[in-house]
Amino acid sequence: MRTASTTRTGTRGLVAIAAISALGLAACSGGGGGPQTGGASKLTNDKIVIGLLNDQSGVYKDLSGPNSAVAIQMAIDDYKAKHGDQAVAKTVEIVQADHQNKADVANSKAQEMYDRQNADLILDVPNSAAALAVATQAKAKKKLYINIGAGTTALTGAQCNKYTFHWAYDTAVLAKGTAGTIVGEGGKTWNIVYPDYAFGQDMNKSFSAEVKTAGGTVGQSIATPFPSDNFATFITKAGDGSPQVVGTMHAGGDLINFVKQYNQSELKGKSELAVGLMFITDIHSLGVDQFAGTQFTDAWYWNFDEQNRAWADKFTAKTQTRPSFAHAANYSAALNYLEAVQAAGTDDADTIVKSLEGKKINDFFLRNGEVRAADHNVTHDVYLAKVKTKDQVKEAWDYEEITKTVPAAQAYAAPDGSCKLS
Amino acid sequence: MSEQMTARVDVDLAEGPVLSRRSPVRWVMLVVGLAIALALPWFVYPPVAMDVAAWGLFAMSVDLLLGYTGLLSFGHAAFWGTSAYVSGLVAIHAGVPFPVAILAGTVFAMVIAVPIGYLSVRRTGIYFAMVTLAFAQMIYFVANQWRDLTGGENGLQGIPKNFFGIEAVETDSFYFYYAGLVFILVGMFIAWRVVNSPFGRVLVAIRDNPARARALGYNVEKYKIVAFVISAGLAGLAGGVFAISHGFASLQELNWTTSGKVVLITVLGGIGTLWGGPVGAAIVVQLEDWLASSGFEGTGIILGAIFVLIVLLFRHGVWGTGRQVVAWFQRRRQRRQS
Amino acid sequence: MGSFVQYTVQGLAAGGFYALAALGLAVIFGVLGVVNFSHGACYMLGAVGAAVLLDTTNLGFWPALLIVPLVLFVFGVLMERLLVRWLLQLDPLYNFLLTFGLTLLLVDLVKRRYGVSGLPYELPAGLEGNVTIGGLSLSAYQIFACLFSLAVCLLVWAVLTKTRVGMIVRAATEDSERTRALGINVTRWVTPVFGFGIALAGLAGVLAAPFRAITADMGSNFVIILFAVVVIGGLGSILGAVVGGFLVGLVEAYGQAYAPSFAQVVIFVLMAVVVLVRPAGLFGRAEVA
Repeated sequence: MRTASTTRTGTRGLVAIAAISALGLAACSGGGGGPQTGGASKLTNDKIVIGLLNDQSGVYKDLSGPNSAVAIQMAIDDYKAKHGDQAVAKTVEIVQADHQNKADVANSKAQEMYDRQNADLILDVPNSAAALAVATQAKAKKKLYINIGAGTTALTGAQCNKYTFHWAYDTAVLAKGTAGTIVGEGGKTWNIVYPDYAFGQDMNKSFSAEVKTAGGTVGQSIATPFPSDNFATFITKAGDGSPQVVGTMHAGGDLINFVKQYNQSELKGKSELAVGLMFITDIHSLGVDQFAGTQFTDAWYWNFDEQNRAWADKFTAKTQTRPSFAHAANYSAALNYLEAVQAAGTDDADTIVKSLEGKKINDFFLRNGEVRAADHNVTHDVYLAKVKTKDQVKEAWDYEEITKTVPAAQAYAAPDGSCKLS
Repeated sequence: MSEQMTARVDVDLAEGPVLSRRSPVRWVMLVVGLAIALALPWFVYPPVAMDVAAWGLFAMSVDLLLGYTGLLSFGHAAFWGTSAYVSGLVAIHAGVPFPVAILAGTVFAMVIAVPIGYLSVRRTGIYFAMVTLAFAQMIYFVANQWRDLTGGENGLQGIPKNFFGIEAVETDSFYFYYAGLVFILVGMFIAWRVVNSPFGRVLVAIRDNPARARALGYNVEKYKIVAFVISAGLAGLAGGVFAISHGFASLQELNWTTSGKVVLITVLGGIGTLWGGPVGAAIVVQLEDWLASSGFEGTGIILGAIFVLIVLLFRHGVWGTGRQVVAWFQRRRQRRQS
Repeated sequence: MGSFVQYTVQGLAAGGFYALAALGLAVIFGVLGVVNFSHGACYMLGAVGAAVLLDTTNLGFWPALLIVPLVLFVFGVLMERLLVRWLLQLDPLYNFLLTFGLTLLLVDLVKRRYGVSGLPYELPAGLEGNVTIGGLSLSAYQIFACLFSLAVCLLVWAVLTKTRVGMIVRAATEDSERTRALGINVTRWVTPVFGFGIALAGLAGVLAAPFRAITADMGSNFVIILFAVVVIGGLGSILGAVVGGFLVGLVEAYGQAYAPSFAQVVIFVLMAVVVLVRPAGLFGRAEVA
């Protein structure tokens, strides 16, 4: 029978549960609530916060991942060592987040970095969809964003904005390097297989155009569903007409799958395999044998010359692995940003942007580099690489033979006018 | 054993405390709940707080179907995600204040729920779950293919937060939370009213014994479809708020893993409790946020382990177990007194 | 015409993986009433197991075909004993969710231990390259995979129809109450059957290992397609699972070949149509209630 006392007990119990849950929520959150406070000073919050947003648990973890934070820290240390007491940025912090190669996560994390963690600059962001999402956030928050990992030309094209810079490479550069060279060497008839999403379509367009410009022909452009792990039917199709070259525009896990299945098919040896986008970590993943002889364009190679090797040795001392272009680019971007802050005396985004526009940079990553004012694309020399055969590999990660340096003027086409910087 | 597949979903509901309709407890709980909802962005990063609210309503919509009608939908992301895209598209292209956009998304979700519901309720139990999954996959595919409209892999980016020009709401996520919360609370109120109405009672009857309900003259299919559409509308409402809050709609919102996540949140909170939804959402969203920020690598391990434990040991969920505990105390008191 | 045959072979090879895994799933459905969401993860564990076996003990593909399914059998037995059995008397929803949570756990564990880039695994010697049949060049491994899957399915079918165990399994699938009433100790067979179902998923994984990238995520979409397969074939129907598997493999291959933009959705349209028109599937019993 219900009495007043039972309902009171029930009341007390439930209120207790509610209060405990509220406290629990508060405890879990670790703060960060409340309305935003504004305020600009010489250095916002009296420090520089560099945000590293990339894939820390997925396919691109080895390409960039947490080791890029090591590279950025190296840049910070070198900056401090160089300027000592005169350093404008006395406190420089790194914050990291994992975007899991998802555009929506990248969007949220970028917003969080700019707002909650007061990041002045976001670096890296591989994966083209994620890269574009972060560009939108950079524009909204009016803070700097230097993309290193993604390939989409939209970053310096239709989706460009004042605060976004593209530091390392893009799909057009890859096409000019790889397609141009291979056609020049005699591989004139192509079939292209590409993943059916924005990046793949972009690559297909760039490569098809470049092949034709160089004097070759593209028989078929075959779209594969994205993502996929079964390319058998598409590989069979790619063999139609017996092309001299089969170009694959896949990246990451798809590329590994594709190459594995390609090498098991009857096309191996009959058609040359050209890879649109390839990283040194892909070679490491699948093994030199699977890729031996393949040609591709690399933004930077650790064993190219003494200067690169010297930096690579410092990196390896801290990480026990050789750096990819992404690690080197993150170092370069971070250091150049800090130097810009040093020169300007402030971390105000608009000032830094102005100081970077048109700047010519020559460091071990950017050879003959220039930050183009028209679209914020950073042009520099890139390299045509050929994957070594197993017996040519002399030490760990020694996978690439650089056959040609593609000068910046040749690799980067003039801005096509689709970028309206604002 | 296979017959079990075809029968209704036999959810194991927690026995709750006995409360009179005029009991002050309900009012106290309501006040406490509102207080937490209003205070949330002070303790929690506001966009995350908005996520908690949105997922909470989403879970309530699933519970409406699962706990109160006995239908397990494994494709509810179809409505959450579709509304996310529609709200986004309306906000971007029509430049209307976001409440209009969210409304548009909700209505659209309900519209597509009619044919899907009509076809799906012909089956029950695990078949119903499979059909809803199949339809959700089809919608995912359409969104992926219709790249020009949805942005495909890139997602729908740059969704604006137009709110009659009030800058505080449009730029600061803290104030936006309160604007968005209004919609969530309206949705929750609707869910609560549906459940505590004659209509809701028929749903429970259908859940417990469809044959008897039919024998009593109720058009079981029609009730199920109406419940399905209402549930889809609520999921759409939540999805619209989510998309506007993030300024972004991606294919993830339509993915079957999102459907799975909301079912798990519902179970974690407690099936058939309605309010378990927000509780479960708070736990999962906060946990994910905390794990991601702390740089811990095995989010899936923690989440997976929690879910396994909950299903094994606390399958009435947090709210359901709470109710059981209170009911136990209540019975003990009664035994002592009588 | 030549490429059509090639697509057919590719479809049957992929279908073989689906058929084997679906067979396991159907058997578990039938006897325990459990919708095993972790079936995809078990497929992944089979592939990972083959790679790890090679890496640690240098045992190649052929020993792996035997060892890895055995290991997964034990894993399945443990899964059933420790986790699944507690929820068997409840609605299938709970075991569905349990195995869903288990999937998250397993996938992430593999990711932490082995990374995401994929483990290397080569085609077994002797099955590399292509064979020329009637002027067509077909992948030797694909032909092998297809035939092997078929052989295993036939073997399982033989066990189910010719042995006492098989008879018990079939009876329990059809009507476990009545089977128990007849004095058969169905419970005794529940655990081994579950283990066997998991082992089949693992076997499919080993077969896929030389052919697909071995990543922690390889089972995630696989399991959704498996659901489509068992629904199309008929929940609880052994024959339906096998036929459904090969059918779906073919549909997928032809779809990719002739209508690639629709390839991914055709299977789900088929699934929806089957559930609405003939929910018992192609080979299942008619729905009761």
